Parts: sequence; structure tokens; C-alpha cells
Amino acid sequence: MSEPIIDLQDVRLTLPSRAGPVDILRGVALNVLPGETVAIVGPSGSGKTSLLMVLAGLEPATSGRVRVAGRNLTTLSEDELALMRGANIGIVFQSFHLVPTMTALENVALPLEFAGREDASAIAGERLKEVGLQHRARHFPAQLSGGEQQRVAIARALAPQPKIILADEPTGNLDTKTGSNITDLLFALQKSRNATLVLVTHDERLARQCSRTIRMADGIIVSDERAAAA
Amino acid sequence: MSVAANPVPNFQSGWMSLPLVARLAARELRAGLGGLYVFIACLALGVMVITAVGALSDALKKGFESQGEMILGGDVTLARVHQRATDEERSWLAGMGRISETATLRTIARTSDGNDQALVELKAVDASYPMAGSIDLTGAGSLTEAIRSGTDAAADPILLQQLGLKPGDKIKIGEAELIVRATVGAEPDAIADRLTYGPRIFVSLETLEKTQLVKPGTLIRWRYAVKLAGNAGESPESLTAARDAIKARFPDAGFSVADRRKPSPEVSRTLERLRQFLTLLGLTSLLVGGVGVANAVNTFIDKRRKSIATMRSVGATSGFVFKVFLTQVMAIAAIGVVIGIAGGALVPELLTAFFGHLLPVKAETTVSLATIATSALYGFSVALLFALWPLGLAEAMSTSVLFRDNIAEQSVQPRRAIWIAVACVALALVGVAVITAESQRIALLFSVGVIIMFAVFSGLGRAVTHFAGQIKRPRRPELALAIGNLAAPDGLTRSVVLSLGTGLTLLTAVALADASLVQELKGRIPENSPDYFVLDIPKSDFDAVNALVAKEAPGTHVISAPMLRGRLIKLKDVPVEEIKAPPEAQWVLNGDRGLTYADEIPEGSTVVAGTWWDKGYAGEPLVSFEAELAEKLGVTIGDMVTVNVLGRNLSARISNLREVKWESLALNFVMVFSPNTLAGSPHAVLATLTLPKGTPLDTEVKVARALGKSFPAVTPIRVRDAINAFDRVFRKVMTAVRVAGGVTLLSGALVLAGALATAQRRRVLEAVILKTLGATRRKIITAHAAEYLLLAVLAAILAVVLGSLAAWVAVSQVMEIPFTFSIGAVLQSLGLAIGLVLLFGGAGTWAVLRARPGAHLKSE
Repeated sequence: MSEPIIDLQDVRLTLPSRAGPVDILRGVALNVLPGETVAIVGPSGSGKTSLLMVLAGLEPATSGRVRVAGRNLTTLSEDELALMRGANIGIVFQSFHLVPTMTALENVALPLEFAGREDASAIAGERLKEVGLQHRARHFPAQLSGGEQQRVAIARALAPQPKIILADEPTGNLDTKTGSNITDLLFALQKSRNATLVLVTHDERLARQCSRTIRMADGIIVSDERAAAA
Repeated sequence: MSVAANPVPNFQSGWMSLPLVARLAARELRAGLGGLYVFIACLALGVMVITAVGALSDALKKGFESQGEMILGGDVTLARVHQRATDEERSWLAGMGRISETATLRTIARTSDGNDQALVELKAVDASYPMAGSIDLTGAGSLTEAIRSGTDAAADPILLQQLGLKPGDKIKIGEAELIVRATVGAEPDAIADRLTYGPRIFVSLETLEKTQLVKPGTLIRWRYAVKLAGNAGESPESLTAARDAIKARFPDAGFSVADRRKPSPEVSRTLERLRQFLTLLGLTSLLVGGVGVANAVNTFIDKRRKSIATMRSVGATSGFVFKVFLTQVMAIAAIGVVIGIAGGALVPELLTAFFGHLLPVKAETTVSLATIATSALYGFSVALLFALWPLGLAEAMSTSVLFRDNIAEQSVQPRRAIWIAVACVALALVGVAVITAESQRIALLFSVGVIIMFAVFSGLGRAVTHFAGQIKRPRRPELALAIGNLAAPDGLTRSVVLSLGTGLTLLTAVALADASLVQELKGRIPENSPDYFVLDIPKSDFDAVNALVAKEAPGTHVISAPMLRGRLIKLKDVPVEEIKAPPEAQWVLNGDRGLTYADEIPEGSTVVAGTWWDKGYAGEPLVSFEAELAEKLGVTIGDMVTVNVLGRNLSARISNLREVKWESLALNFVMVFSPNTLAGSPHAVLATLTLPKGTPLDTEVKVARALGKSFPAVTPIRVRDAINAFDRVFRKVMTAVRVAGGVTLLSGALVLAGALATAQRRRVLEAVILKTLGATRRKIITAHAAEYLLLAVLAAILAVVLGSLAAWVAVSQVMEIPFTFSIGAVLQSLGLAIGLVLLFGGAGTWAVLRARPGAHLKSE
């Protein structure tokens, strides 16, 4: 069995609030192997998105071990985390989070530019082609539909060929048909690159497309099921 | 597939990242300047004041330089008090080129019946006058024609008006009766002749002799303008050579020499000081505008939280994002700086167009590179100073917090490098202000004052927010709402208190300093000042003058002193040109000083060191020096002082130091010599007359008229008139100071408007929700009014306290005159604060009340 690309041990996350500290994650342990597709499901407030944020290095765990792509995230500085993310992790958000002042092409090129790639624009053009938006390259986010914005976000997440794709409710803001198209695209691209995909969703149908489903409640993992085919 | 991380080279630090930083900053700027208009306006306004002050000073300086020949009436001039140039001196000067001789003195002009009289500035000129420029004349073709005959004069129309005369009427000056042939307007060399008190009257040198005003000791200033042969006056080398030659030929003649390059060092120095002071005021308004910069950057960053978080989530380091946003902010600052410089450069043009006739010289519109560089430096520094902090806070915030809306603010501090950068920029600003100032003490005091002001008002803002958060919720909902707004972390409290408070403090300080100065000038006169100064009393006539005064106004207190004019030449054998005196003592070294001698310690003086000479002392020449000035000039008992009187150098040893009450306007001199030093020089007597309290104006006029009739050479000057003449000049300067100070309040108002506009969206939503819950418009207005009034009153009260403190320091510590508190100035501050807040706040509330709930609730 190969080494896990994501390895969490007893991860806890406590956030301050005016009413006192709130325990968001209460001892999460999780191993994900390279190439796996994992769905994290659970009711609102169960800690799904927070777990994803911890995996992305966007939220530092209060305690526990967080190893992602062979790096111990708890020992990295904010800037080291940013550089690590740029090279290894692509993130797709529910509300797309495209930079409104940049065109579709510029949004996709952004992580490549941060990584110092001279050919950022050319690669971004290819990624847009992959998601079928080459004709929208010069459009700004406000000029794109929700589905198109999410396709740009996926192209951006995949631009630097990350080993891990994290997706937070990628279809949450889309209608059923568009959502389904986006999901198909995401899985196809993941498969073609053999990347690891971890997605947070409320959608059981989407979860069933993954090789593994992890259920969360109240800050802990309550079940971890692998699909029969896997 | 391997789990090892992809390599992560960092391309985001160092110079290599700059093109990408610029590219991303440019992309971000596509969003437009929304919300940053206040930022630009605040910077532009402050930079405009600094540029305008600099540009005006450049224009006047350039005007002085290029019109130097006209201001002097020649290429080089020599001036001396009391003694006319000797034939030898004159013929030597004639060898240099064409010369023109003029003489000026202050005297009395009377109507031919002797019933009316006025103080005039008499100017006697030769046929060559004016060698440069021309004189405004009505009633005659040329000045020579108007005053050629030995009985003619040309006078300022104001004099004719004062005496109820018209051209062609007769006028008496000294012993001569003259006919006013023409009226004169502007004369080209007025600055060089230091016209101050009375209107001008022109006569020929021959006529001057007929007046018999020129006697030994008369305070008359002889001036010789030289137009160098050929075009030598155009070359700086020739001018320097001419000055050197004069100095070498007449080392001890006591001439003040000036050339067309710097025709009036005193005026240049005064302008320079005024420029520095107004620049400091401009810098303050820029700093107040800085609060608007900080607010705008905060809002700007707030709107871009998600973009920042997104960039970071796709691999940008926080330092890199910081650079991108700093670049944007500085690019926007550049717009403000450019607008400010352009606007400021236009001010001299506008002033010249509308008020050109009031300026001392024709201003030549030009802006020096130094002025532009200084303004830009100040503008960018202030933008940087106030933008670094909010940018540093955003940099320190974690990505996940940026992704959430501002419901969970993270308590962070910028990294240490930002603290250091902010401190360095602040220090650099203070450094530039202090180093470039002539009086570094004043600049330093000013900087410390500004720092204290900012610290106090940001402290007050925090305190109000904190206190409002602590107090028990009042039962009346509108008050509870007002207090809730005051306590809101993203509320208006801090920015309103800071912007309004700083602007008002400065305005209060200026108003109070102004009030104290006016009080000092006017308030003291009736108490302990004499009513008249009487100039040029011939020594032989003194007893008769005394008797006349005693007859016309019995009980008049007369104090007199022998009076000569002379220039300081050396202190401790060091020529005064080589002495670097502090600005407040420089005047002693410039130009002519009144000198006297006395057997006894003069009234109003106290010897604080050394001893006064014995009556009838006949040893080595001695001098008593004013104690404070002696200290500033670095001389003390035993040192030698050399003065030039009537073209002779006289040296005396300092035997004692005196403390003098200058402000009493009694007869006071910096230097009082032992009688044996000066008694041999021909001189007149200067006297002060203090009439008995309650003397009617009629008697005052009678005394002056009787003196004029019996002693035509004697010139009584009413102290009140002299004070009024000074007051007129002082008013003009204070107007400039008030305008520059007022701009600070305008900056404060801009910041206030910006802060209110930022909070407007939240307020509209709040009002909409309240309306849906049943709040009437009146309740909402009451809540807003309570909040605004509280803020305005608090800011104004503290501004009055701080402004008074600043004015007290300026008035009593720097200017060393008593501080007077003026309730009017305080009420003005309070009124302005309340007015401004109600104006801007009221406009905001009006918009809030007009908001339609439906639209806003749907959009949320």
C-alpha cells in the first residue's frame, strides 16, 4: 500500500468567538491515498469546510498532525504554506472566488504567475480550452454565468498541475444541470491527471461518485465508507 | 504517484517579482477608484497648500531677482543714515557708472495755515531718478518736470485727502512752502526705501535744502543707486566685483551695500520664514488628510478581502500581496500628488491675477523643481505613513479570516518591519521639516505638537468607543442606538474625533495666537505706553520743546535720549557678516540701529550683570548691552563692540548687561554707550511724551500742532498710528496664516465626509431594519443627532484644550509675549465643529431617511 498523500492525526481546531472559544474540529484522524476521490459530507456546522481549510493550510490546526504531500503543515509559516499550496494544491470554492478585476485568462494564469512561470498565459489558455471556455478568455467574472465562473475556477485550480484538488461545495451555487456538468468535468480532469480529490458536499449523489465517503458530525468523523468498486 | 511535494521555488520576493507586482496592481486598478476619491482629495489638498506656498515664494523670489534693478533703482546701491556722501565718495562712485542720489526722511507736512498736519515719508531725488522703472504720475509728464522748480512737490493722493488739499494747493514742509504739482502712485524702489508709516511726498534735493530739515543728527537716509557702465550689471561677476571694490575703497564708511541679485535681504528673509511656517501648516493639513488616507485604504482593503484571500489560496505569499496593494495605493497617491502640485502651481497665477497689486513685487509665475520635489516628497511620505498600517494589518490577517465576512475579526498586529517602516517615515517627515527650517526649535516644537495632537485624538477616539461599549444601555431606544453606534468597532467615532479634532485644534491655536498678538499690540497702549514719539529734536531746541509741551499739556511726562543711527560692524572683532546669529537675534546685526548714550541707567532697564559707569566717566569707551540679545549673539562683559556712526568706526567695551522691557514701548536701546563715546558726534534728541491720563483728543492734537508750528524740523509720531500701521501689515500676514490653517479644517471636513460616506451603507440598512420594526423618522433623526453632537462636542472641547496649549507655547514660549485667552476663538471652534458635523451628518441622515426599505432588504 502506498504512502498517504494526506495524513491527519488527532487534529483539533478551536476558534475564538465573543461568546468564548468554539471547538470546530475535535480530534480528526484521516488518511487519503494518492489518486483517491473523497467526499466529506455532514450537516451544516459539522466541521466539513473547516477540515478542508486545515488541509489547504488556510486554517492552522490548534493541535494534532497535518501532513499533506509529504510536508508537515503545522511547522510551515504562512508564506511557506502559500508557496506549498501554489505548487501542490488546487482549490475550488462554492462561491468561485474569482478576482473580479481580472479576466478569465488572467485568473487562471494567476497561480502560474505566482510560481514564476514565463509561459503562464499560454498554459492558462490551454486550461481554459480544456474546460471549454477558450472563447471567454478575455471576459471578466461579472460577464460570465455561474457555471462558467466555476469552470474558470476549476481551470485555475488545475493550472499548476496540483497533486491534490480540494473542492468546497463546488456545485452549491449552481442549478442541477450545470452542477452535474461541472462535476463531470471535475472528475474527468482529476482522472486524467490521477490527482487526489477531496470535496465537501451536501449532495449525496455527488458523494456517491467518489471512491470514498467520510461523514462528519459535531467536529468528528462518524463514518468512513469506501465504494464497492474501489 | 509520489506523495512528495512539488518543488516550491519562491519567485515572489526580491526585485524579480516587481514586474509581476506592477502587472497585478494594474489589473486590480481596473476596478476603478471607487471609495478612493477622498484619499485623492485629502492628499491633493495638502500637497496643493505646500505647493502653493512654495510656488508663491518662488514667484516672489524670482520677481525679486529679475526686478532687482528696478527695486533698487540701479545695479548696486549704497545707503547710509545721517551723513551724505562726501564729494570724494561721490566722484569715485561716478567712475563706476551713472549714479542717482536720493534721501528719505520722516517728517510732518502742514497745511499753509498750519491748522492741519500729517506725518509723511519725504523723498528727495536728483534729476537722474528713477534710473530703472518708472513712477506713476498724474498731473505732470515726468517727475523731473513735476518737482523741477524749487517750490514744487509731488504727493500721494492720500496725503492730499488727509489734509483736504487738491493739486495746485500749498503745503508746508520744514521751513519751506511748496506747491503740490502732481500726485504719485506706485514708485519702483519703494521696498528699498522701507516705506512704512506715512504717505509719500517727492521733492528735489534742492527743495530739501530749502526745508532746512537736514541738520546734524537728523534721521535721514541717503541712498546712492549706481547703474554700472555698459551691461556690467547683467553679470553676477561684475556685481560682485563692484561690491568688493566699494568695500575695499570705503571699508569704514558705514554704507549698507545691496545689489540687484538680492535687492532686499530683509524682505527675502521674511518671505522665507513665512514660507517655512506656512509649509508647516500645509504639512499639518496633509497629515490630517492622512487620516482620510488611512480610512480610505481600510475601506479599499475591506472591499478586496476576498481577492486577497483568493490570491493567497492560489499560492501568493502575504508579503507579495502586500506589495501589490501598496503599489496600487501609491499609484493612486500619485494621482493626488499630481493634482495637488498642478493646483498649487496655479495659485500664484490666480493671486497675481486678482491681488497682484497687493504683492510687494510683481510676482513672476514659476515653480521651482525644489518646490515640486518637496511637495511630492511630503505627499508620498504622508500617503505611505498612513497606508502602511492598514495594509500591514491585512497582511497579518490569516487567509481563512479574510475569506469570512468581517463577522470574526482577528486581533492582529502588523509585522515588525511595518512598525519600523512607519516609524522611519514619520521620523523622515519630522527630519525634513526640522532640517529645512531656519528656526529648528520652532519646527521641532511644531512636530512634537502635531504628534501629541494625533496621539491625544486617536486616544480619545478609542476611549469613547471603549466607554460607550461599557455603559449601561439607556432605556430610550434612540439613545441606545446612538451609544451603540459610538461603540461599534467599525463605527465613525475614531475617524470623526481624529479628523475633526486635529483640524479644530490647529484653527483654535491660530485664532488664540492671533487674539493674543492683537491684545498685545492694542491692549497695552493705554496702560503704560507713551502717546507720542518725537523725532529729530535739535539738541539746542530741546529745552524749548520741553517748555512748550509743559505749557500746552501740563503734567506731560517727557523722557528723552540722545539718538543716533549706526550699524554694528564687529562683535569681539569678528565682522557681523561672519556671525551666525539665531534668527530671533539676527535683526540686531542687520541695517541701522538706534544708538544712545546716558549717564544713568535708562528708565525701564535694570542692570543684571556688571556695573554702570560713574557720572562724568572719561576712561575707555564703554557700552551697556541688552542681556538676552548679548547671550544670543555670544557676547558678554569685557567683549568689544564696534559700530559705525556717521561714517566713523567706534569701539567700546561691554561693561554691563541690562534687562529691558521692550513691550512697554518706552525709549529702549540695545546698546547704550558711555557719554564720552558718542557725545562728540552731532545728534538730535528723541523723546517720548506721556500725556496725563484722560487728556482729551483736542489737547493731544493741540500739542502736536504747536510742536509742528514752532519747530518745523521736529516730527511727532502718534504711537497709536504707528501701532495701526504695523497692525495693517500684521493683518495681511495673519490672513495668510488663517487661510493655511483653514485648509487643515477643510482636510478634516473631507476626512469627515469620507468617513460618513463609508459608514453610510451600514446606516441605511440599519435604518431600514429599524423602520420595518416600527421606528419613526424622528427617532432615527434623534439617534443620529445625539451621536453626532456628542462626537462634535467632545472633539471640540479637546481641540480647545490642545489648541490653547499650542497657542500658549507659541505665544508665551516662542514669541515671549503674554498669552490671552479669547472666548470668541473657543466659540468659533465649537460652532464650526457642530456646524460641520451637522452639515455632513445631516446630509447622510437625509439620504438614510429617504432610503426605500424594500429595495435594500431584497438586495441583502
